[in-house]
Amino acid sequence: MNTIRNILFREIRHVSKDASLFLIILLAPVLYAFMYGSIYLYKGEEKVRLALVDSDGSAVSRTLTDQLNTTPMIEIVPVSSLDKAREKMYHEDVQGFLYIPQNFEKDIFGLKQTDVNLVLNASRFLPSSDLLNTVTKVCLTVGAGVRKTYFNKQGMGEDEAMKMTNPINMDYRPLYNSGMTYGAFLLPGLLAIILQQTLLIGAAASFASEREGKRLPELFQMSGGRTSALIIGKAFFYFVVFMIFGFFFLTVNFSVLGIRIRGGGLDLAVLAALFISSIIILGMLIGSFFRSKLFTFQVMVFSSYPIFLVTGYSMPYQALPPAIQFFSDLLPTSPFLKAYISVVQAGGSLADNIPAIIHLVVLWLAFLVVLMWRIHYLKGKTIDDKN
Amino acid sequence: MKRISHIILREWKRIFSIPNFYAILLIIPPIIFLFYGLIYQKQFARELPMAVWDEDRSELSRTLTDMMEQDPNIRFTHTAVSNAEIETLMKEGKIFGAVHFPKNLEANAKRNAQSNVTLYTNGAYLVPAKMIYKGAAAIIIKGGLAVVLQKAQKQGMAAGMANTLVQPIRLNTTTLYNPDFNYQLYLTPGLITVGLQMALIVASVLILNIEFRRKTIGDLLQISHSASEIIMGKLLAHLTVSWILFFLVSLVVFPLFHLEKPTTDLNFFLLYTLMSLACIGIGLMVSAISDNLLFVTDLALFFTSPAFVFSGFTFPRWAMPWYDQFYADLMPYTHFLDGFIKIYFMELPLRYAESEIVKLLLFTGVTVPIAIVFFQRKLNHYLKNKTS
Repeated sequence: MNTIRNILFREIRHVSKDASLFLIILLAPVLYAFMYGSIYLYKGEEKVRLALVDSDGSAVSRTLTDQLNTTPMIEIVPVSSLDKAREKMYHEDVQGFLYIPQNFEKDIFGLKQTDVNLVLNASRFLPSSDLLNTVTKVCLTVGAGVRKTYFNKQGMGEDEAMKMTNPINMDYRPLYNSGMTYGAFLLPGLLAIILQQTLLIGAAASFASEREGKRLPELFQMSGGRTSALIIGKAFFYFVVFMIFGFFFLTVNFSVLGIRIRGGGLDLAVLAALFISSIIILGMLIGSFFRSKLFTFQVMVFSSYPIFLVTGYSMPYQALPPAIQFFSDLLPTSPFLKAYISVVQAGGSLADNIPAIIHLVVLWLAFLVVLMWRIHYLKGKTIDDKN
Repeated sequence: MKRISHIILREWKRIFSIPNFYAILLIIPPIIFLFYGLIYQKQFARELPMAVWDEDRSELSRTLTDMMEQDPNIRFTHTAVSNAEIETLMKEGKIFGAVHFPKNLEANAKRNAQSNVTLYTNGAYLVPAKMIYKGAAAIIIKGGLAVVLQKAQKQGMAAGMANTLVQPIRLNTTTLYNPDFNYQLYLTPGLITVGLQMALIVASVLILNIEFRRKTIGDLLQISHSASEIIMGKLLAHLTVSWILFFLVSLVVFPLFHLEKPTTDLNFFLLYTLMSLACIGIGLMVSAISDNLLFVTDLALFFTSPAFVFSGFTFPRWAMPWYDQFYADLMPYTHFLDGFIKIYFMELPLRYAESEIVKLLLFTGVTVPIAIVFFQRKLNHYLKNKTS
């Protein structure tokens, strides 16, 4: 117990004296959380600019335009010609354009099908898909209105005309993100990734600095040859600090950003403890292969995006190639995010996520065994170097 | 000129011999770029698991289920019998969506009564939720309209008129530049270019200060005492190495994942060169100001990591608060990306990226002179100390 306490205090002294470690472990998580979080403060996009060329200029075409303009998603930018609309799109002033042809109103009143043309710039996915969804919905609504007017004219009452207009009504229920906003989807996972990356880089850099400063013999001596005491002593500091950060994120950041936690606090605490423990062990293991803290920082900066992209959070796990799925399975982040999103967003419990928890425990144990072997090897090497 | 070429040669040797340079500029980027290409090799999120809760068990509900199953985005993997079961399956991560056909769906359709078909998606996973909505909603709406069509024709309406009644306004959509919403075409080039800026800045923050750390500044001063000559030589050396990365991307990585667009190569090269100059300029400035290698690397890490999310590639900048938009403007990647979208994705002439070109030049125009001023002061101080 004394050994673990001594190593723990040594680690606290080490981090507090080292400005770069202090920055990455104690300041970066909070800074990043507020910085990244604020991007999605408004959760979703609104008023995506869409150019409109109205060659009909009729009351019905204006009704369609008004309907589009009153949706929160679209801001209509009237232009006089298709060429001007195209130029605006090329300059990215608008994300697409809608063309209403001549005789639009005449055709509708004459029960003749009429075409409207929507051109979208899909070089960025979110605005183009939001525009497509909204314009489609508005056109279907206006079309349904035309149908209902026809049935009314045929002598049908309001109720009957409505049933004839839309005999099968689609009731769309997006669960756990009712507004289907990008921010509500991304924020919980993003905060978890921030926690993970700062911890992974910090733990790796701390271990690398032991090698760089040739302080490993001192550490081995303090641990009295017990690898487990060495690991627990070093890891305990990070565990406590990042559990506090986790709690801070789930309370302060979630509340500031308006994210609701649907699941239980205890379930989240168990998940966070397992996740943080495995990331610390993985970080120490990675750091044990570096000889310089500077180089560790330089290399680890490249790990953030690949790790996030293979977890199945942004792209479904099923859509990843087998080799990438295998890599994803080796990261604690993948099972953690699956269980964490289930608890936070969907109100799931630990019982709903047993496979993910087992996966996380297996990874933690596997990393621990490899780290113990690695430290044992480094110990042997240190003794050899001494002799 | 001779002194500058001497400095370029010396810097090339250093880049190829110091791990902090060669690993960051020449080893890690190719690995990461190939990895990004592999992640999106399947290009689309297809066959997403879904549940069906069919209380009607009629020909109509089976037809609609079969039609949905034909959609490449959807695969029915579970059947459910209640709302609660659908929610449990979502919490367990087994399905991304579900559809419910109520009792008497077909009977209601035949006797002029309205029915609700419920489509559920797990909004916590936005991409699958949107894909399922796209596939399933179109089929449910079509199903409803087919019922209207049948009824109108039964009432003796001519086929043409019945079609008009079903769909008075036909929306013709032309989706340009990525019509199928292919993830490989969309994300891989963006991720690769953000990796390029990261490598360039992370390496270049060490260009000047590492001379003091490795005690090689004396050798450098034997070539020139002028900060502008040293900085120019080093800038050009790093720029030429950045071109190696460009050729790696445009000649190997892009063709490997079918992302090459030969007609855009020259414009891409010009824009990339400007981004490289801007990134190296920022690195040189930081490197001239601070001698603390760890601090400048921390700074580079802090500055480059969020570039992708701030750039507006996945979430538009106009939807961000004003201060985040301002911060995004301080990053060269933001302006590079705006130009890159125009010249690479949209394949437009370079003139459409004029404003982005000016902004990128501005980065170089500001950072390099600052670097020269600070480094000259540092050199003067060093030389003064040496002589005294």
